[in-house]
Amino acid sequence: MISRLLRGREVDRPFDASADVVVVGSGAGGAVVARELARAGRSVIVVEEGGYWAPEQYAAMTPSNTFRRMAREAALGAALGLGATPLVSLMSGKCVGGSSVLTGGVCFRVPDEVLHGWVHHLGLRDMGAGPLEPHVRAIEDAIHVETVPDHLRSRGTELFVEGAARLGIPMKPLRRNTAGCRGEARCNFGCPHRAKMSVDISMLPDACAHGAEILSDALVERVELARGRATGVRGRFLDGVTGEPRVPFAVRAPVVVVACGALHTPVLLRRSGLRSRLLGRGLTLHPSTRVYGLFDERVDGWDGAFQSAYSDHFFESHGITLMSAYGPPSLLAAGFPGVAARHRRYVRRIPNTAVFGAMVHDEGGGRVRRWLSREPLVTYRMAARDLGRLFEAIRILARIALAAGAREVVLPVFGAPTVRTARDLEAVLTPLPDARRVECVAFHPLGSARMSAEARDGVVRTSGEAWEAKGLFVADGSVLPTSIGVNSQLPIMAIARKIAHGIADGAMRS
Amino acid sequence: MPVLAPPRDFERHALRPRHRPLVRAVAGAMFAHEDGPSPARLDAFVDEVDAFLSFASTTLRFGLLVMLELVRFAPVLVAYRFATFVRLSHHDRVRVLERMERSRLTPVVLVFAAYKTILSLLFFEHPDEIAATGYSPARRRHLRALPLARPAATSPAAPPTAEAAE
Repeated sequence: MISRLLRGREVDRPFDASADVVVVGSGAGGAVVARELARAGRSVIVVEEGGYWAPEQYAAMTPSNTFRRMAREAALGAALGLGATPLVSLMSGKCVGGSSVLTGGVCFRVPDEVLHGWVHHLGLRDMGAGPLEPHVRAIEDAIHVETVPDHLRSRGTELFVEGAARLGIPMKPLRRNTAGCRGEARCNFGCPHRAKMSVDISMLPDACAHGAEILSDALVERVELARGRATGVRGRFLDGVTGEPRVPFAVRAPVVVVACGALHTPVLLRRSGLRSRLLGRGLTLHPSTRVYGLFDERVDGWDGAFQSAYSDHFFESHGITLMSAYGPPSLLAAGFPGVAARHRRYVRRIPNTAVFGAMVHDEGGGRVRRWLSREPLVTYRMAARDLGRLFEAIRILARIALAAGAREVVLPVFGAPTVRTARDLEAVLTPLPDARRVECVAFHPLGSARMSAEARDGVVRTSGEAWEAKGLFVADGSVLPTSIGVNSQLPIMAIARKIAHGIADGAMRS
Repeated sequence: MPVLAPPRDFERHALRPRHRPLVRAVAGAMFAHEDGPSPARLDAFVDEVDAFLSFASTTLRFGLLVMLELVRFAPVLVAYRFATFVRLSHHDRVRVLERMERSRLTPVVLVFAAYKTILSLLFFEHPDEIAATGYSPARRRHLRALPLARPAATSPAAPPTAEAAE
């Protein structure tokens, strides 16, 4: 368990500390860096803006309670679509453990063709399959990546696989970081059984056991830089009543690792004085969408693994990954059409509903800017190619649902009628609806402080160190140089481990 | 294993007094059914919405309240009725929401979708409502991996089958 934790909301006097390394953010990137450097004998302090809840506590939370306590913006944040672009809901964690607490636990390696592009087109020789392999393996061992067994598949996922098979689309079992999953289908609201090996279970306790300390409810407002070198961080603890920043704190350290995620890392770096014009640009999101299939049979989609099968059949041709999914009944209810009696008729069919999902391997059309509040302004201009892919994903998912025997399919297009046949489907999608009406969500913001082989092409080196400041490292999804088209948890952790080992081997020694 | 006590929730509010009747009216129309929702349920629900929205940032809360004001004047935009939403009859409120959902004006549709999402998330979490959806907390599929128990003999005196005798 996490043993060395100071809750900022319970602190009422200024706090000052020193360490070898201060890590800003306790999610997939920050937790790995903290663990690796603590195990290497460094003194480490992890600073996290969110609060700490133990699994026993979030097990008792409703979905909305999870959202408001553990997710940024109570999960209501969004990237504003520019031009023909949907409003993209953004889901990211704000708690000890970060987004890893709120993911489905899906683990993919970076596809070979993506790594090939990093090495041969972007010149990132350190980021090929060979240099990353030991780190990927070590993380897979540490977080217990395993294939979801067939018996954990929900009936909804079985229908997804059956429908796809009838269309000749092969599906594969997913890998997740789990041990002892009981098929509660609530991975993205925190696993109540400690079965999902999110970093608050797998990494941070180990870091604490090796001496790392965690400050929660602590907002870092600035990385201190002196003569081009990082010297620590400064910020304020959140007030226990209002949640607003109040009591100041400072942590001095010769190495600062920023791992706030792709939406907040650029904001902090900009506020700290970094000037790179690329900071905050090139954000990719993996825009995702879903359809509901309404079946005659009882599906009870909540009984089984939250996610257990996927297909990369359309990855090379269309950049689309199909993914089984589910959601709590209260969220499913939001996606049904109608109000009052009509809506309630649909809600009563939730036990007969299966959810099929897909995400798009996108180009970097997003941008993160500092704005009026602590949260950034995120904009996203979807490339025409990606918009086409998004509609194609909707078409494929709906066809799979119909092939699986769905009586009715609810499309993710606000105001569109439900469809019962392929002809209905084409009637809705021809001509294509207004892109802004498409229901779209993103869980994998990446690439807003990307690594590069040359200073002019990115914000950090392949070592994770900022081109503009010595001793300042970035180790989260923002360093990924391109979209990867698959869930990003494992790649972020592997790259963070590589960066941590580089720090231990080089920067600390110097 | 000792567990740290959960931290206390922040005490914040998002809704001003003028917003509360509007949220109540929207929820009453959005989730209307034969038996309700009851006035007491709607009163409690407004508090739940307030608590939920209060965790958003200042800018997002501001945006959500601006959108709520758009709902207030939606009768003018989608039904050409010169009345605010709260002044409509229950029947007309339902019709205005239906028209918002089908509106040709995309911003109107997005405002409707945003509030429908927030309100549904909270409304259908109530134990009575979630039970009414047919949801069951039981999980059985993971048990399929367990070895099946041998069927018990029907009576102690039952003769062994030929297969068992072998």
